[in-house]
Amino acid sequence: MTYTFNFDWIAQYWPVIVKGILITLELTFVGGVVGILLGILCAFVKLYGAAPLRFVVGAYVELIRNTPFLVQLFFIFFGLPALGVRLGELEAANIAMVVNLGAYACEIIRAGIQATPKGQFEAGVSLAMTRLETFRHVVLVPSLQRIWPALSSQLVIVMLGSAVVSQIAAEDLTYAANFIQSRTFRAFEAYFVSTLIYLVLAIVLRQAMAGLGVLIFPRRSSR
Amino acid sequence: MNRRHFIARLAGIALVAATALAGQHAAAAGLDAVEQRGTLRVAVPQDFPPFGSVGTDMTPQGYDIDMAKLIADKIGVKLELVPVTSANRIPYLQTDKVDLVISSLGKNAEREAVIDFSDAYAPFYNGVFGPKDSGVSKPEDLSGKTVGVTRGSVEDLELSKIAPSDATLKRYEDNNGTISAFLSDQVDVVATGNVVAAAILAKNPPRKPEPLFLIKNSPCYVGMSKNEPKLMEKVNAIVAEAKKDGSLDAISEKWLGVKLPEDI
Amino acid sequence: MTDFTLWDIARNLLLALRWTVLLSLVSFVGGGLVGLLILFARIARPRALRVAAKLYIELFQGTPLLMQLFLAFFGFGLFGVSVPAWLAAGIALILWAAAFLGEIWRGCVEAIARGQWEASASLGMSRFEQMRHVILPQALKIAVPPTVGFSVQVVKGTALTSIIGFVELTKAGTIVTNATFQPFTVYGLVALFYFALCWPLSLTSQALERKLNVSHSHY
Repeated sequence: MTYTFNFDWIAQYWPVIVKGILITLELTFVGGVVGILLGILCAFVKLYGAAPLRFVVGAYVELIRNTPFLVQLFFIFFGLPALGVRLGELEAANIAMVVNLGAYACEIIRAGIQATPKGQFEAGVSLAMTRLETFRHVVLVPSLQRIWPALSSQLVIVMLGSAVVSQIAAEDLTYAANFIQSRTFRAFEAYFVSTLIYLVLAIVLRQAMAGLGVLIFPRRSSR
Repeated sequence: MNRRHFIARLAGIALVAATALAGQHAAAAGLDAVEQRGTLRVAVPQDFPPFGSVGTDMTPQGYDIDMAKLIADKIGVKLELVPVTSANRIPYLQTDKVDLVISSLGKNAEREAVIDFSDAYAPFYNGVFGPKDSGVSKPEDLSGKTVGVTRGSVEDLELSKIAPSDATLKRYEDNNGTISAFLSDQVDVVATGNVVAAAILAKNPPRKPEPLFLIKNSPCYVGMSKNEPKLMEKVNAIVAEAKKDGSLDAISEKWLGVKLPEDI
Repeated sequence: MTDFTLWDIARNLLLALRWTVLLSLVSFVGGGLVGLLILFARIARPRALRVAAKLYIELFQGTPLLMQLFLAFFGFGLFGVSVPAWLAAGIALILWAAAFLGEIWRGCVEAIARGQWEASASLGMSRFEQMRHVILPQALKIAVPPTVGFSVQVVKGTALTSIIGFVELTKAGTIVTNATFQPFTVYGLVALFYFALCWPLSLTSQALERKLNVSHSHY
């Protein structure tokens, strides 16, 4: 093997990497918060909504879950301007992530709600809670707690999937690696370093979600 | 089935996986390797008309593809075209995926540090292109504009030096991305080659990349791994001969519509 | 440059779709084989094997597939092994799929009651025989729906190979877009083709799961 590894470029290019990490985190944060809210809304519609609404949400969920994120991103960024909808690369990336996570979160949350025994709802109503209160305390919160690990895994998957937003020139961590590669021709080293950073981000994100779970769902024994 | 069978089957699975992992081992490098293999592997663009693009049947065509054919013919080996993007064509060479890069590759100091260049084989002027009403006619006018450019291209490196600080450079992975971004109105103007813009203009696109200003005269060279004197000698001899016998002029007329300029 | 009709666009995308299908098959089958090894290592008696398998899974599930593709693509060359683009893409996808399949199947094996290990051991069966005759047949049944479900992820994962220059459906989409200037139509069609490939798999997975739940409720 004649190749010698060289990591000297880090000294010059670390600000590019830091900026990339921040953008990846920003995308994950927005995608996570808005995506989960969208997922809750869609799960609610799918379970209790009117038939036409259920159909629309169902089509959305199936369409997103059965096409690659990269193609969704290209369609939003390059395709939608044909309809007069022009988004910057960060908006496009944010929207693509929200739309993507929303579809998966919808299915996860719906499954969680369906796993709630019917009797619990009636028990709640018999305690003189309103239907909304009952839904919130008896159905939604315990369901969310039940599916929190699945939701956390999905969020990690979406965070790692966000690597492709570099393809529309959104300046995330992968973009940083590509940029450095095009300037230093140290392709392997640049990708190696960014892969390690992604690994750390994934571990941290998983821990953070677990911690958040404990915070949001106190006073309930973990199952 | 007994235990031995089961283990044998497991071992079989492991073997298949191991063989798949091992791949082919790299043979000798340079011209010897090419002749031994009987194939010349050339990195060419497929998103960069008229140097390399696809027809309705998806076969590569263009100046660079004809150049690759010419060189493979003269060496007397078969040609294997490997489509690459601007951003990864040099790593392709570094990791021995191709023998030559004939991909409208311009020369600069950064690249010369990692690969070697032949003599020039094609003219190339890069510049900034966009709608006539964009009000851009010199680098300073890019102030406040977004410029689409292909990451790692000569345009990218040059423009990064001369563009005003409040111009936004959007760097795309490949020319497909850069051109799509311009055509779908995601950037105000685009930095690319003059003939590339002309080829797009000829197809009457929704947004027209008219020439606004030139960045640099940056002819194309054949790129190859460092320290391959035999391969370099051979390629240079072929290029020189093609210039003399008119075959390079023919390629130039076919794709660029003009004969090769004097300075190439 | 020639003009593309809608049929030209669809035809070229369909031709490229063959590569998506082929790459998906190779990755899925290869990933399954390597995934079996991961599964066996993950539930093996020696602790070192279990830890190694767990690390493997963490590594491949904790980093972007795109990065794995880049590293495979540019990494092999550095170690003196020259691999063509399709093979590098295939290897990366196989290793990636193996991590997920191994983990899915471990869940299935562990879902088979622990008591069954002991029962079959008391019959004098070796660990391999137990695995072969008792655990795997049962685990296989509950493993089918999530495995079919994961095949959808594999098909979608192949889209990323476009970024390292492999001309499959997505790459063909970007190339055709530039030859036609019709990104809306082209990417719409690309999405449609992926959907046509993935949706039947998703439906099958869901149907199998329902069937399994129904048959389970009889117990």
